[in-house]
Amino acid sequence: MYLGDFKEPVGEWLRGEGSEADLVISSRVRLARNLTDVPFTTVANDRQRAEVADRIQDSLDTLRPGLSLKIQHLEELDDVEKLVLVERHLISRELAMASGPRVVAHDETESFSLMGNEEDHLRLQVVKSGYRLEEAWQQMDHLEKAIDSELQFAFDKKFGYLTACPTNVGTGLRASVMLHLPAMMITGKIEEVNRAATKLHLAIRGLFGEGTEAQGDFFQISNQRTLGETEEKILQNIAEVLPKILSYERTLRGQLFEQRKEWTEDRVGRAFGILSHARVIQSKEALDHLSLMRLGVSMGILQDLTMDQVNRMFLYSQPGHLQAIDGQELSPAERDLKRADLLRKILSE
Amino acid sequence: MLCEKCQQNEATVHLTDIANLKKREYRLCSECARIHGVSIQAQLQKFKSLTLPDFFAHHFHESDTEQAESPPESCPRCKMSYSQFRRDGKFGCSHDFTVFRSTLEELFKKIHDSSQHIGRTPSCFREWSEDQEEDSHQVQLDELREELKRAVRGEQYEKAAEIRDQMRLMGRN
Repeated sequence: MYLGDFKEPVGEWLRGEGSEADLVISSRVRLARNLTDVPFTTVANDRQRAEVADRIQDSLDTLRPGLSLKIQHLEELDDVEKLVLVERHLISRELAMASGPRVVAHDETESFSLMGNEEDHLRLQVVKSGYRLEEAWQQMDHLEKAIDSELQFAFDKKFGYLTACPTNVGTGLRASVMLHLPAMMITGKIEEVNRAATKLHLAIRGLFGEGTEAQGDFFQISNQRTLGETEEKILQNIAEVLPKILSYERTLRGQLFEQRKEWTEDRVGRAFGILSHARVIQSKEALDHLSLMRLGVSMGILQDLTMDQVNRMFLYSQPGHLQAIDGQELSPAERDLKRADLLRKILSE
Repeated sequence: MLCEKCQQNEATVHLTDIANLKKREYRLCSECARIHGVSIQAQLQKFKSLTLPDFFAHHFHESDTEQAESPPESCPRCKMSYSQFRRDGKFGCSHDFTVFRSTLEELFKKIHDSSQHIGRTPSCFREWSEDQEEDSHQVQLDELREELKRAVRGEQYEKAAEIRDQMRLMGRN
């Protein structure tokens, strides 16, 4: 069974620990790197991609003493296994859907992961639950230096680290925080955050990063610029704006509870009621209700429910995890039945 | 100000709609805006549909004429042509940055407001830079030594003293 391979039930990004964990789901830093002497993945043939995969695997030996790494070749995995890795935020949808030699390596806690032959030869990622962007960067700094001592990265004195896409050139760093902002969505204030973020050259994206729609009131805020600023400054830009966003969300939550108490309790209660009794439920509907239940737990409205239950429901109700738990491929209609079953089961614990 | 649609809630969204070359402005509450598809999700959908090639098409438009006179050559290593790079928005290898260099500064300034990297550097580059610096330092010292010899032979003692001081200073650094 696929999920038995993971040591942790939900992985680092949904652990629900760390500073401001009720609002900040996770903090993530990602570095894009390429090898100097091989064409980028965008044009490389299978032989060249296999060479990159081999060199990455060899270089990972330097990290092994400190990290218990699991290395997998994606061409050897079935579709459900790949989907599970996407849902656990260990690989991108693009890597899952691509063809040819591709590698993923991750540690036991699912905090560090490396994708080989994504858009760039290497995509390194460190994720920490809660607001721990600085800590994530410290770990990344250490890991990248270790890999750098083994592999020669494509670099230009003027343009910095050379990447396949011009939007990643320079530091190759994308730093992001995943936020849960239901009160802003309910009150329509999220537009203000969007405008403010854009002015500060920060981007707001959906649950699965670039090119994905915001779902269930979950948003990723990340840097747009990767060139012309140091790594520290990129992190600082997010650190400066984040407390304001969090404080605003908390104020709005307070106002909701004071001014529209019954209405808020009603919405949270209805979400709980639907997930406790539904027999068939689609992914998007489940996510919307889970978002309200998450709000309910953090505001003390749903006192018998824990954040751990909500996080497990959140992850396990996604298509890949549902099929992995069931041990077989399921049609969308079958998944809607299984999803409702699973949510009821977790809620009755 | 009240929402123009429902006339009940406060208008928080200012919508400018340009269709058939006619501009219309609306002031809506967040709920009516959402019903009419003006929400952050709708904006994210729009953002999602804006691809890098679109960006290229838009931002390079004004400089097309200038670039048409001398388009950069194709990369000899990965065979990426400049037009292909513009079409797909992706580089093919690290050598493309050398081949297309003349156009990249402008592109990066548009995307990042800068074209100069100031972040970390890879270890191989640091070692290479230090070696380069050391080599050039040695070359300069050798040149000064030869110059000193010539000055002594020509009995230009004042000049020789200046060269000697310069060499001492370089030695200290």
